[in-house]
Amino acid sequence: MKAYARELAVAATILLVLALLAATTHGFFTVDNLSDLFLANVPVLIVSLGMTLIILTGQIDISVGSVFAVCSIVTGVAARAGLPVLVAMLIASVVGALLGSFNGALVAWMRMPSIVVTLASMVAIRDGLRWQTQGAWVGDLPASFQRFGLSQTAYTILMLVVAVLLIVFFAVGLRYFRGGRNIFATGSNEAAARILGIDTNRVLFSVFAITGLLTGFSAALNAVRFNQIPSNSGIGLELKTIAAVAVGGATITGGSGTIAGTVLGVVLLGIIGPALTFLGVSAYWEHAIQGLIILAAVSVNVLSHYRRRQVSHA
Amino acid sequence: MQNVSSNSAPPLAIAAKSLTKSYAGVRALRSGSLELLPGEVHALIGENGAGKSTLTKIITGAIQPDSGELEIFGQRISENDPNRSRALGVAAIYQQPAIFPHLTVAENICMPLERERGGITVDWRSRKQRAKELIHSIGANIDPDRLAGTLSMAEQQVVEIAKAIGAKARILLMDEPTALLSERETEKLFTLVKRLRSEGVAIIYISHRLEEILSLADRITVLRDGETIACCNAGDVDRAKLIELMVGRSIESVFPKRTVVPGDVAIAVKDLNNPEAGLHDISFSVRKGEIFGLAGLVGSGRTELARTLFGITPVHTSITLHGREVTIGSPAEAIAKGLGYLPEDRRQHGVILDMSIASNITLASLNDVAKRGLLDSNREQSVAEAYRTSLRIKAPATDTVAGALSGGNQQKVALARWLAIKPGIMILDEPTQGVDVGSKSEIHELIVEFAERGMAVILISSELPEVLGMSDRIGVFYNGTIVATLSREEATQQKVMSLAFGHEVQA
Amino acid sequence: MLRRLHISAAEVALVAALVLECIYFSIAAPSFATWGNFFEIIRFSVELGLLVIALTPILITGGIDLSVGSAIGMTAVLFGTMWHDGHLPIAACVALSLLLGLVAGGLNALLIAGLRLPPLIVTLGTFSLYRGIAEGITHGAVSFTGYPAGFLHLGQGYFWKLIPVQLPILIVVLAAYTILLHKSVIGRSIYAIGFNAEGARYAGIPVRKRLALLYVLSGIIASLAAVIYVAHLGLAKSDLGTGYELQAITAVVVGGVSVFGGRGTLLGSMLGLFFLSVLQNGMHLMALPSELTGVLIGVLLLAIVAVDRLRSTGTFKVTAGETPLRKRPAFALAAVVALGVVCTLLFHAAGHRNGTVAAGHRLTIAVMPKAKGDPYFISARAGAEEAAKELGVDLIWDGPTSLDASQQNELVENWITRGVDAIVVAVENKGSISTVLRKARAHGIPVLTWDADAELNARDYFLNQATPVGIANALTDEGARLLPNGGQFAIVTGALSAENQNEWIADIKKRVASNHPNLQLATIQPSDDDRDKAFNQTQVILKAYPQVKLIIAISAPAVPGAAEAVAQSGRIDVKVIGLSLPSICRTYLHDGSVQTIFLWNTQDLGYLTVYAGALKAEKKIQAGANSVHVGRLGNLEISGSEIILGKPLLIDKNNVDSLHF
Repeated sequence: MKAYARELAVAATILLVLALLAATTHGFFTVDNLSDLFLANVPVLIVSLGMTLIILTGQIDISVGSVFAVCSIVTGVAARAGLPVLVAMLIASVVGALLGSFNGALVAWMRMPSIVVTLASMVAIRDGLRWQTQGAWVGDLPASFQRFGLSQTAYTILMLVVAVLLIVFFAVGLRYFRGGRNIFATGSNEAAARILGIDTNRVLFSVFAITGLLTGFSAALNAVRFNQIPSNSGIGLELKTIAAVAVGGATITGGSGTIAGTVLGVVLLGIIGPALTFLGVSAYWEHAIQGLIILAAVSVNVLSHYRRRQVSHA
Repeated sequence: MQNVSSNSAPPLAIAAKSLTKSYAGVRALRSGSLELLPGEVHALIGENGAGKSTLTKIITGAIQPDSGELEIFGQRISENDPNRSRALGVAAIYQQPAIFPHLTVAENICMPLERERGGITVDWRSRKQRAKELIHSIGANIDPDRLAGTLSMAEQQVVEIAKAIGAKARILLMDEPTALLSERETEKLFTLVKRLRSEGVAIIYISHRLEEILSLADRITVLRDGETIACCNAGDVDRAKLIELMVGRSIESVFPKRTVVPGDVAIAVKDLNNPEAGLHDISFSVRKGEIFGLAGLVGSGRTELARTLFGITPVHTSITLHGREVTIGSPAEAIAKGLGYLPEDRRQHGVILDMSIASNITLASLNDVAKRGLLDSNREQSVAEAYRTSLRIKAPATDTVAGALSGGNQQKVALARWLAIKPGIMILDEPTQGVDVGSKSEIHELIVEFAERGMAVILISSELPEVLGMSDRIGVFYNGTIVATLSREEATQQKVMSLAFGHEVQA
Repeated sequence: MLRRLHISAAEVALVAALVLECIYFSIAAPSFATWGNFFEIIRFSVELGLLVIALTPILITGGIDLSVGSAIGMTAVLFGTMWHDGHLPIAACVALSLLLGLVAGGLNALLIAGLRLPPLIVTLGTFSLYRGIAEGITHGAVSFTGYPAGFLHLGQGYFWKLIPVQLPILIVVLAAYTILLHKSVIGRSIYAIGFNAEGARYAGIPVRKRLALLYVLSGIIASLAAVIYVAHLGLAKSDLGTGYELQAITAVVVGGVSVFGGRGTLLGSMLGLFFLSVLQNGMHLMALPSELTGVLIGVLLLAIVAVDRLRSTGTFKVTAGETPLRKRPAFALAAVVALGVVCTLLFHAAGHRNGTVAAGHRLTIAVMPKAKGDPYFISARAGAEEAAKELGVDLIWDGPTSLDASQQNELVENWITRGVDAIVVAVENKGSISTVLRKARAHGIPVLTWDADAELNARDYFLNQATPVGIANALTDEGARLLPNGGQFAIVTGALSAENQNEWIADIKKRVASNHPNLQLATIQPSDDDRDKAFNQTQVILKAYPQVKLIIAISAPAVPGAAEAVAQSGRIDVKVIGLSLPSICRTYLHDGSVQTIFLWNTQDLGYLTVYAGALKAEKKIQAGANSVHVGRLGNLEISGSEIILGKPLLIDKNNVDSLHF
């Protein structure tokens, strides 16, 4: 169980918050509320899965928020042009994957630092979108657009299925598939991975492309919840996802982290805001509390790994 | 022992002819040749820097030769790479294990095996099983679920061996595989090597331990200064002959040893323990003008002692410097107390490759070239220039980047840095490793000069002749402590090696 | 020669780029090449410049500090609290602020140097923490103003009517850091750490102490920037410095500092900063849209790093096994992509200017929204363009891409330099913009305000669409009408620190207290002008405060967000009203999830901005007149110095389809 100490710690914190809510508030543990909370965090969750892969390789992607905004608009524009919603979603995912591939290519083959590459694309994509749309929303969407024409419940169940499938896919993929293990190997010791014959450039490229794909897909999934699409969505998404992955125990320098940890990180950060509202704490303190949780989580991480590090550096 | 001769009919496992390779202008390999037969243990010997590592790296495809020919199982290899050589059945166990610290032992062992097998999934249970079997088959016992980053160096080596054995290699390269193994583990490894040989595996065995080689190897190829000097049957040679072939000169004549009358005790250590670095009960003292050699196997505690004394892995125990009790908590404190440490890993720790020669030289003594914290670049230049001249550092100017220099000149820059702090005590850790022959003797000359100027020198070297030839007294490390201290007269290769292997010797 | 001056090839290239840039703008942009403009660029670069200075050595060590922008917000707010509520003398406030910066930097230092945590994650945490503290203390709403003139002089004054007062501070800090980084023993060790931290430790350099020093200094410098920023804007607010960390890092990287550590100089960083500042300034003067700057910066950043990578392939720190960079194809690809993007942008931009600038003696009216992306302002723009066409004047329509008071100031400065004929501003922050508006008036440029007013003497006319009190009263009364028996209501606002919204909230509270005591305000939640966040917040409100029967959403995107949440919850007993645009609320008004929205005709308001601006510029509004004829709007009443557009429109399902904005 030592291997999962971090996940257990986050889970314990979540339980603590939930216990506090159960003891002092009403209405949090209703199906309605929980499904609302779940839906609200689906985009963060899906993008965090990709961010986990990127951080496992020791890289970072701060452009996901901007990619998310572009893909939201793309979904709407495609749907308004009369394409079926599923096709619109496909197009959005492809656009996301292309933008991710652009970052990935520069990081992998040009060996450019990922933080600079994605900082540049974050700014350029966001402002490019503002320029192109002039802030206008996409409206006049076909009736079948919202929730694919499904009912609220059916949509929620569908999202649940999608989320669970993706989590299982990535958890299993990272643990039981060679491709997943190559990501760990690349992040843990890139030189050794190359000696093994792993094409680490391709690994790096792939994790960015996959994250782009997931970002596009989640943007499309989120877009269909409404009947119009704003042009400024996804602001701050990069920080939420990076924080979730870090809180979930992945080391930012690569090689170590789990999907379970990331999911727990998303849950913890996702319930903090609503929990504060339920507890009657003013919304104005939310950022501060979030910052504290991030700092506490990474500090605990290091302190618990301290001995291990000592050994590995000897 | 199998009777093989180089004229037999079966295709050679490896045929390498006149391979050359240079790094940054330094010839690491001038003319490397090797003929390896299937089913033989072929030892590759030579001093440090003779080109063994370079030759093996070319065979595994880690680097490309500048010129020369390489055939593996009769196949002409023009562009080798790790995948290619692995596909041809080459497996290697490097001196520095290439492990993934965040991954488990089982995965470290099985990942390369699976790459051969193909498939896209990972079966953890069979991985674990396989890893366990492989580890047991070499007589070790490591939990396959442990993270590799938590293993000791010896355990990491075991993982590497298990990996190679699991790969069912037809050509197995072993680079100092026993350096970190206990005697029992070594015995088991030999049994294993012999078994592999009888199965037809061609084994290239690199080691500094001549006894080991003479008892294990079928044939021996000797490298010297990047050149293949000889290839002989193990039965036809003895130790003395091998040493002569490797060194190409007699031991006594090459070292410019001049005895200095020792002064007061400069450093005295009593009952030093550092469990974290694996050191226990270390006592010794060194006088001014004395060269104190530290011999022992890699990992026996020599470097760890140096790092402890220099405050890199500090302990709270006090040591005596020039008669005063002090504790050293960091390198900065050590420097302030007149201790210099030329580290083992020159490229990582010795010099900062991206900085200029001048910056490197003054880095540990910046306050000496500064006024009230501000650098005086004229003074810095003149200090650097003085060392460049006196140490004969071959570089166009002192603002040349250190990374552009040859290994020997980099090492001189590193030495200059420590001379610049005007130390009373100088610890030299493998000062001539990976240094060309010319620079090597220059460095030896310098070490003697240090002693003549009254410095107390602690000299760590894996090259036994160097320790024997340079030192006034020799401390022998075994298993984390100094087991014996021998005078120059007492110390023979035989005696030192026995001690280093943990045999009791009546002095 | 160059070697003697310690100027690298990269810096020479930057200087050349800067010179070329300046030459280009001198030709292309009116009034670019003036001393006034030069010093304005510097003034607006001071706060950012301080951060650039602090971040340069940190990046050289291979670290990063994302918390500096948030530290500005936190220090500014505490500075304001100490002055305003603590009644401390200014000098004491400044000293305590610097101390707070030391503590903020100290926390980073403790975690990074002490616990050896990765700087990226640590400062991501403190980024959130420091901003959160600022918001928590002020509840986002409070902005501290009313500083003595002597203090404001620090941020707004000039020496000899030309040199901004804060310039010497920047120079002093720059000089000190130059000595620290490039002349001192410590600076040398910083480079050594950046190249190889382990190697530096072996050379006896106290690595952790040095790192700690840099992060602590960074905190102090950020707090100094905060004090200057407060003096510059004349107010302290929790959102000051938002996004500054990324701007500063961008400048540092453009200036040639490698994020892998070891490489870069302060000179390079400052050149990078001025390169970007001049770019921004020049593009404003050319009336190119603000968004283009971001796109250009992104592309430039990639191009610079790509070229740098190709130049120094040999020294990249990947150990054994690195495949050599395949130079030519990669470079060709990068070059083609970068060139292609830049060309497209410039071609596109040429035809896409914010208004056409033709020759001859046409009037140029510059109109600024609070944020360009906001649907409300977008609909106003349509009216503005209509008026411009009708009157035959040139319209410059530009503003911050997201709410940003300081960028508004910067734009006004640029417009003064450019010499437009009238400036019409939707004021984001009264205290901060009034100084520069007074300056515009002093230059003889008519100044009008719209949407929200500036200080009285800072403008000629306020185009009053409706007063905050009027809006608040209308909303509250409508709420009371919908809840005849009283009950709880919740407010979903825009950003926590948005001044407009906070004013409305205050007036709503007053109206409730005086006229509708049976209404109770349950909670206020921010939406950050993000529809999705408004949606999520409303969902939580509905569950956490089940008694809430009414949502008042007072930001345009928040109304559809709240409406969708209410609709999806099936809570037909909950009403939604607010301030928003008919276009994005139409479906919700029809399906009954929104009862009423209030707004004035935004298109008419936009029309009025240009029309009134033109009239004022041509001096066609008589002093003391009671009314003015505004094109198709007919005669509008003038009350004092306010031109009244009319009462707020009450929009419901009956009239929504007749409104096209």
